[in-house]
Amino acid sequence: MKKILYTTFALALVLVMGLTACQGATPTEVVETQPPATEAVVTEEPTEAVVEPVATLRIWADDTRTPILQGLAEEFLNEYNVELVVEDLGVVQDIRSQVIIAIPAGEGPDIYIGVHDWLGSLVDSGLAAPIDLGEKAADFESSALEAFTYTDGNLYGMPYATENLGFFYNTDLVPEPPTTWAEVLEIGQQLQDEGLVQYAIAIGGDPGYNSFPIQTAFGGYVFGKDENGAWNPDDIGLDSEGEIAAVQWMVDAVNAGLMPETTDYETAHAMFESGDIPFLMAGPWALDRIRASGVNYAVAPFFPDEGAPFLGVQGFLINPFSENVLLAQAFLTEFIATDSVMEELYITGNRPSAYSSVLAMTDDEDLKAMGQAGANAIPMPNIPEMGSVWSAWNNGITLALTGDLTPEESMVDASTQIRDLIKGALVGMVNLPGSYQSLAGCGADWDPACEATGMTEGDDGMYTLTVDLPAGDYEFKVALDGDWGVNYGSNGEQDGPNYTLSLAADGTVTFVYDPETHLVEFTVE
Amino acid sequence: MASSTPLGNRKKPAFLPKTVSSQLIIIILLLVGDAAVGWVISQFVSLGYTPLAAAFFAIALAVNIILLVKKAYPLRWMVAGLVLMALFTIYPILFTVWVSFTNYGEGHLITEELAIQHILEIKYLPEDSKAYSWTAFKSDSGDYALWLIDAEGQPYLATEGELIAQPVPGQAGIGELDADGIPVTIEGYQRLNSILAATDPNLSNILFGQEDKTIQVRSPQEAAELVQKYVYDPERDVMIDQEDGTVYSNLRGTFSSPTGEVLKPGFIANIGLENFKRFFVSPALRGPLVRIIVWNFSFAGISLVLNFALGLLIAVLFNDPGFPLKKLIRSLLIVPYTVPALLTILVWRGMLNPELGVISRVLENLIGWAPPWFTDQWWAKVAVIIINLWLSYPYFMLISSGALQSIPDEYYDAAQVDGANGWQKFWKITFPLLLVAVGPLLISSFVFNFNNFNLIYIFNGGGPPMANTPTPAGHTDILISYVYNLAFSASRGVDYGFAAAITIVIFFIVGTITLIQFNYTKMWEEVSENV
Repeated sequence: MKKILYTTFALALVLVMGLTACQGATPTEVVETQPPATEAVVTEEPTEAVVEPVATLRIWADDTRTPILQGLAEEFLNEYNVELVVEDLGVVQDIRSQVIIAIPAGEGPDIYIGVHDWLGSLVDSGLAAPIDLGEKAADFESSALEAFTYTDGNLYGMPYATENLGFFYNTDLVPEPPTTWAEVLEIGQQLQDEGLVQYAIAIGGDPGYNSFPIQTAFGGYVFGKDENGAWNPDDIGLDSEGEIAAVQWMVDAVNAGLMPETTDYETAHAMFESGDIPFLMAGPWALDRIRASGVNYAVAPFFPDEGAPFLGVQGFLINPFSENVLLAQAFLTEFIATDSVMEELYITGNRPSAYSSVLAMTDDEDLKAMGQAGANAIPMPNIPEMGSVWSAWNNGITLALTGDLTPEESMVDASTQIRDLIKGALVGMVNLPGSYQSLAGCGADWDPACEATGMTEGDDGMYTLTVDLPAGDYEFKVALDGDWGVNYGSNGEQDGPNYTLSLAADGTVTFVYDPETHLVEFTVE
Repeated sequence: MASSTPLGNRKKPAFLPKTVSSQLIIIILLLVGDAAVGWVISQFVSLGYTPLAAAFFAIALAVNIILLVKKAYPLRWMVAGLVLMALFTIYPILFTVWVSFTNYGEGHLITEELAIQHILEIKYLPEDSKAYSWTAFKSDSGDYALWLIDAEGQPYLATEGELIAQPVPGQAGIGELDADGIPVTIEGYQRLNSILAATDPNLSNILFGQEDKTIQVRSPQEAAELVQKYVYDPERDVMIDQEDGTVYSNLRGTFSSPTGEVLKPGFIANIGLENFKRFFVSPALRGPLVRIIVWNFSFAGISLVLNFALGLLIAVLFNDPGFPLKKLIRSLLIVPYTVPALLTILVWRGMLNPELGVISRVLENLIGWAPPWFTDQWWAKVAVIIINLWLSYPYFMLISSGALQSIPDEYYDAAQVDGANGWQKFWKITFPLLLVAVGPLLISSFVFNFNNFNLIYIFNGGGPPMANTPTPAGHTDILISYVYNLAFSASRGVDYGFAAAITIVIFFIVGTITLIQFNYTKMWEEVSENV
């Protein structure tokens, strides 16, 4: 008997594990989308429809937004018989890591909250669906919509709040905000001489983001834009003249004893709150703590020298694998994009609204000033290449501030690091992608990263490749770094026409590429 | 062998099911279980989770063998444990190995099946086709009719299979038009607002209008004469654009055209040794690697020696029975061990802060200078080692105290007789015998410090940054924190494939060290045998 019991137990265990594992990883909903949904049956019988919700919308939100959305659940259920399930995932930044695991496993929500600069990774991974706001689009701030528009021209999120740094000054020490960065240092110097402050200003966190208004004031930038207005990852501005000038300004400030060389969030904010520094660039997230500290402060409605901060936009995104994409869209545009809900999101969230009518009635002086100072704010680039920027950028500025490198050396280094990271492992590869590749050991034709057709550099600096090919007509091109970004055609020019190669009989072809002229010569044996 | 057979025969009856029926029950249950597992496996396969399916298959097969083969009978008692081990230890290891050969990471998070499903859903509006705003009407039998208004303001009424241009109020049961030009009622139908209409997930799949020009709902605002944009050819594993005929072939997890256009999303694909190559061969990564590995070994080694030395010193002091307030002081000394390391590191971070930290302030007041703990590479390294000393000495104090108790007093008595002094007693008796006892713990401590991600990452994120490196790296970065930055933040978001490859490399490094050190401790065991 024991034995049988045991066997049953073992099998039950296997079963249970099978089922739980299945629950954890299989998108059963996705599998069952195709057959006509049971909901149709339910709606045929109105008596039942009242009892049973016709659909469920699952939303992943952060702790601030969850209660607001939960408050809509009852109304939504009564009005449309759709159940709203809002799950609290903590802070907004944590939602991303959950989404990239849950959605591929079929466990994702229908709608989730996110920040616009995640788009690169989310869209490229197929985790966000395009959203059509229709006429509602006019109700939103255009900068917020622009931030949620990806390089393919589609809108992938419905924004509700924006955030950018503001320029805080201590009103006990400084009556009027300075209009130039030079003035910031002058005032700081004066106050320091009087023994009132320790420094003029401190960078409150990672130097790249938190000193961006200084960098832009001098003409620095991260990515340029192409002719269509899309971010251009090939144009990296961190070694531009303006950027180096901005870093030089910061280094001079450190050398003059007017700025600490460390850029710690906690330290910088504590120093401002205790009056040790008269100026600080801080975001709306720091308002609560600065207010609580009791320091007398004001937010300037502009940055010195018209510097531009980065703009971050929070919004609602839709899971493309959801059964209810249409319903999710309708819910967002008809139910969330309303004055009352947007106002509630603004009041609880303590961020400038992305909804024009709510933004217009912002009554918080600090948020209003931050919004004005951010009128020229630059949306954080939402292309995936931005991921390669942060640490190199921060390190570059830090190395200059600590005096390890000159501003020029460090920023040129940082830009090189970023270019290499974007290119990835294949930086330096010279390849000849073409219609012959699948015959030369590649998985497919026209693959600029195929190892089998990578050229080898000779002692003379020329690159060569030898392949055996059957008779036939072929086309090919030169591509560098395993990518089409830099490619040369038969005229030796970027994006030029394909080379053509005709073989009357089977033969061995030797290609020679000259990196000076960008031309390829080939000989057939 | 011959003698074992009768013995086995004799024992068998006790193990075998006594009746046919109990045997039958086992088989039936097994079949049910197998059927369930088979269903799960088929689900996994259809979704493209092949490795997980293979793991389930292997486990199910093993369970079957154990339950059916008589010789495997004793294993039955361990079957639950074996299944759990297979699922939670062996499978993750194999999965890591599998992931290290793929491009699994942001941009390539979903399986090819899901990516194809996604891409096939992409539709486009051919040039001469129209888009409309729509209002849905639903009949009692659940059929839909759409009232469409095109860009010029012309109304249409579409049902499945029919499109009426210029419908007129009064005809076909169409009621009065409201201010937006939409009929308030249509006979036999109920007008729905856009949310109500959208509650039917099937609505966007319905093809309205005539066969050659079907209209589909694409968003709450728009319905259009949409055409599927891509067609998948499973033979060649390519996507074909219906609009312009471009062929997108599968290049390592992305459908790419000959001119480099790619279809989003990408999917998980096998990329061979690419991840390992990226780590070892790529000049962009090779740069700071040597310096990081040297520091990694130094950090683990120095930490081990210092922490052990301090712990042992305290243990030896307290081993003296005459030490005053022994219990109290010993309890206090254990405190750093009981506070979560995370908090301790944050507290140290605060104390060493150059502007506000207690230690830096005090030093500045006393000698007018405080070390730049966060910005100078050597002081940052010193700080990391000091914090680690604070965190780890109580551990060594505890294990050394225990080991000291186990050394018999006779050895010291004998040494006393031989005229050895205290120093000699320590080095010739205490230390070798102690090493025998704590040797394996020293190894595990070394390995732990070798991968002490928390300390490095929380204290200063691996900083200060190194100058002139091809990739961002810090002076206190150890292998694991450097790789974390590369795989999870520096490059394009999360890159599980690369991270898995590095994990395997680190496993081999740590495994080699452990092996060498175990051999070394064996040497000490021999010493102990000779004492």
